[in-house]
Amino acid sequence: MAHSPVLSPKPNPPGAGSRITTMNPKAKALAILNHANQPPAPSTATTPGDGGTDLAEQMNDEVRRKFVSGARLGEGTYAVVYSGHYRHDPSRLVAIKKIKLNPEHKDGIAPDAIREIKHLSELSHPNIIQLHAIFSTKEQNISLVLEHLPLGDLEGLWKNQSISYSGADIKSWASMLAQAVWFCHENYVLHRDIKGNNLLIAADGTLKLADFGLARSFADPGRVMTSMVITRFYRPPELLLGCLHYGGTVDVWSMGVVLAELVLREWFLPADTDSQQLLVICDVFGTPTEETWPGVTKLRNAAILGVAKRPQPLSYWRQRFTLLGEDGIDLLRSMLIMDPAKRFSARKVLEHRYWTNAPRPTKKEDLPKQGGGLAKVGEDLKRRAGETDSGRGDKVARKLDFGSMR
Amino acid sequence: MKLTEDDIYRTSTQYRNWSFTPTQLALQRQKTNQQASERVKAAVARQRAQRVRQPQADTASTSESERNGSGIENGSSTPIPVGDQEVNCLTVEEEMKLVDTFCEKALDLGKFCNFPTEVTATCIQFLRRFYLFNSPMTYEGQNISRTAMFIANKAESYFLNAENYAARFGPKATAEKVLAPEYLIIQALRYNLDVRHPFRGLKGGHLELIELANGNLAALPSATETPAELQAQMLLLPRKPDGPATRMSIAELEKRITDAYGFASHILKTAALLTDAYFLYTPSHIWLSAHLLADEPLTLFYLSTKLPSSSPMAAKTLATIRSCATLLSSHRSFNSDRIPPSEKDARDKKEKEEVQVLVKKLRQCRDPDKIDLVKLNQAQKRDAVEGGGLEENKAKRRKLQREGYQKEAEDFWGPELAKGENREGK
Repeated sequence: MAHSPVLSPKPNPPGAGSRITTMNPKAKALAILNHANQPPAPSTATTPGDGGTDLAEQMNDEVRRKFVSGARLGEGTYAVVYSGHYRHDPSRLVAIKKIKLNPEHKDGIAPDAIREIKHLSELSHPNIIQLHAIFSTKEQNISLVLEHLPLGDLEGLWKNQSISYSGADIKSWASMLAQAVWFCHENYVLHRDIKGNNLLIAADGTLKLADFGLARSFADPGRVMTSMVITRFYRPPELLLGCLHYGGTVDVWSMGVVLAELVLREWFLPADTDSQQLLVICDVFGTPTEETWPGVTKLRNAAILGVAKRPQPLSYWRQRFTLLGEDGIDLLRSMLIMDPAKRFSARKVLEHRYWTNAPRPTKKEDLPKQGGGLAKVGEDLKRRAGETDSGRGDKVARKLDFGSMR
Repeated sequence: MKLTEDDIYRTSTQYRNWSFTPTQLALQRQKTNQQASERVKAAVARQRAQRVRQPQADTASTSESERNGSGIENGSSTPIPVGDQEVNCLTVEEEMKLVDTFCEKALDLGKFCNFPTEVTATCIQFLRRFYLFNSPMTYEGQNISRTAMFIANKAESYFLNAENYAARFGPKATAEKVLAPEYLIIQALRYNLDVRHPFRGLKGGHLELIELANGNLAALPSATETPAELQAQMLLLPRKPDGPATRMSIAELEKRITDAYGFASHILKTAALLTDAYFLYTPSHIWLSAHLLADEPLTLFYLSTKLPSSSPMAAKTLATIRSCATLLSSHRSFNSDRIPPSEKDARDKKEKEEVQVLVKKLRQCRDPDKIDLVKLNQAQKRDAVEGGGLEENKAKRRKLQREGYQKEAEDFWGPELAKGENREGK
């Protein structure tokens, strides 16, 4: 049967009122369900001022009216991103991330959206993307009004061969990242998807941690969490081994990998499968044993550890990470300790001497920048958590496959 | 660099958007009640007018039986008082009593489904927040509670399958019904999905007390007393306020601490959830109040190790905790284990009767526009798919449209389902 406009909460097209009277009585009956569309009945006393909307709807509409949505910047599987600005001040730019309504998703609002909304609403820090507001449209699309971050991301930066940067620049970016992660953990939030292309750069050069689609609160002791999080290259060994109880140090590992990539200007630990990822890690850090990591052999996927390998010597680090200096190398290796219990916490990372010893970190406004631009803003925000655009087809952060190992 | 617990709490949405003074709370409830009442009256008046007009429009084209059929589906099975008398709407107090009942039912629902404490607790706060801006006259409790529980699971990182969840409520419940008010609720929650509970605070305080009892801890680095001195004081703590000093063994003291924890924990899972405590106090206030009710001397000792009585904050903090304790102990659940069964039964019976009267009254003043949430939601969703700019390929869009039409057709031609839903809606 034809699409009945009376069921729609959108304003009726002109003439809809007369169509109602010619309609099937059942359709008319349904029309009563939503009186907002009804031409006002002659004898009805209308409630002044509220237009038939809930208080909550009115508050939502107020928020929505504060922003003007502009050009579409990009579209991904999970969201469409628009440029936008405050209505009262067009110079205040924002990015509007409209979470797609997926009628085929059977369980309502998707986990990514729930997590991002929940955690970004609570976190306010200069190195975490700011959530200005959330509103929904009449069509039940939830839109996140996010900070406008036009200068691309950290991954784009190291990939861009036309840009050169120094050890002081790296220290500056790393310090902003470390503060963001520390703040998340102080607020009992695990990010669980730290990687170069979730680290966006504001117009003034500030680094901002974005994409909280995989974040969660610290679990109570004993509660199981999924190990299928964090994009593979950045996933710590305990998750690859199937650990279901973990803490803030999973993010610290990812942070270490990001820092290493920034120095190397290439992937630090690239792998095509989850099981290969673990072996790649062991190639650098050695195969963990009960001595170096008590309990490791009892983890679910311990069998894939295979033959024992020795860790790379200090000379390997000095050779590859010269830019960091001795202090930086020491910190990097503390962030990348295999045993999560020995790995540095975000707070310990901030207490390291690397930050206070020479060279001083570059001031953020003096950091090298790349063009970025609006299209890039869209690219950065629309991704679903767990994806990279590394071209390696690793959009499978949540699908671990150890079967191929056997 | 160190953030204090207070610094962190003050940035939370719970503090920024969901903390009130008693006056603010009362005003908001007044406003919600007034708006809902006006809407119900307007909607009922419109329906009456509609019913007057309807037969004239219909006689030409439809038979008597069809008209009767439409009468059932258009919501007139909701008993709307005939005649011209004003609809008798719920008062603020009556609304609050109903919301309290919804919350108690949600507690049962959580037990029934075996959900973790924090999920049920979050759900109940969602309900209390939801009904601060919505009236039970507009949105009925059962559907909202089920959906709020579903959202609470998500918010606490338990992602349920909607169909399995709905299946627990018998054949009439469907995933669609669970999901229909999801946006409605999330919007009313102002997209704030993080609820700060007192449970972890209580657990932390308990662990500290045990350490203090064993002489392992000075509660503050600046403490002038040694851990051993603190332990010695603790072993002498009277059982009752102003009671005689005791001389407990460490084992007795540990048992006392654990008993207090158990009792306080019970309060946090009942009275703290079922009152306005979360709106009026912080999580630390709440757990300390519960602990105060469980063992006052122990709690005062604990506070004194954190906040010396010389501190100007001490008196203020204690006054706040005492007023929160008064609120918690005023709830029915607080002494239900300690009053004689006959008295408890009589009280519960009276309570039940009062609620039944209210439920009956509610039936007479429900907003007829908001009874069928599933249909309201379908209409909105279809708009999103068609007008919301999903620029997928055309085939997909057609498929969605087709599904939309099918759904719509089912709504039109599935009278049993519609009737069932209406009945459920009451």
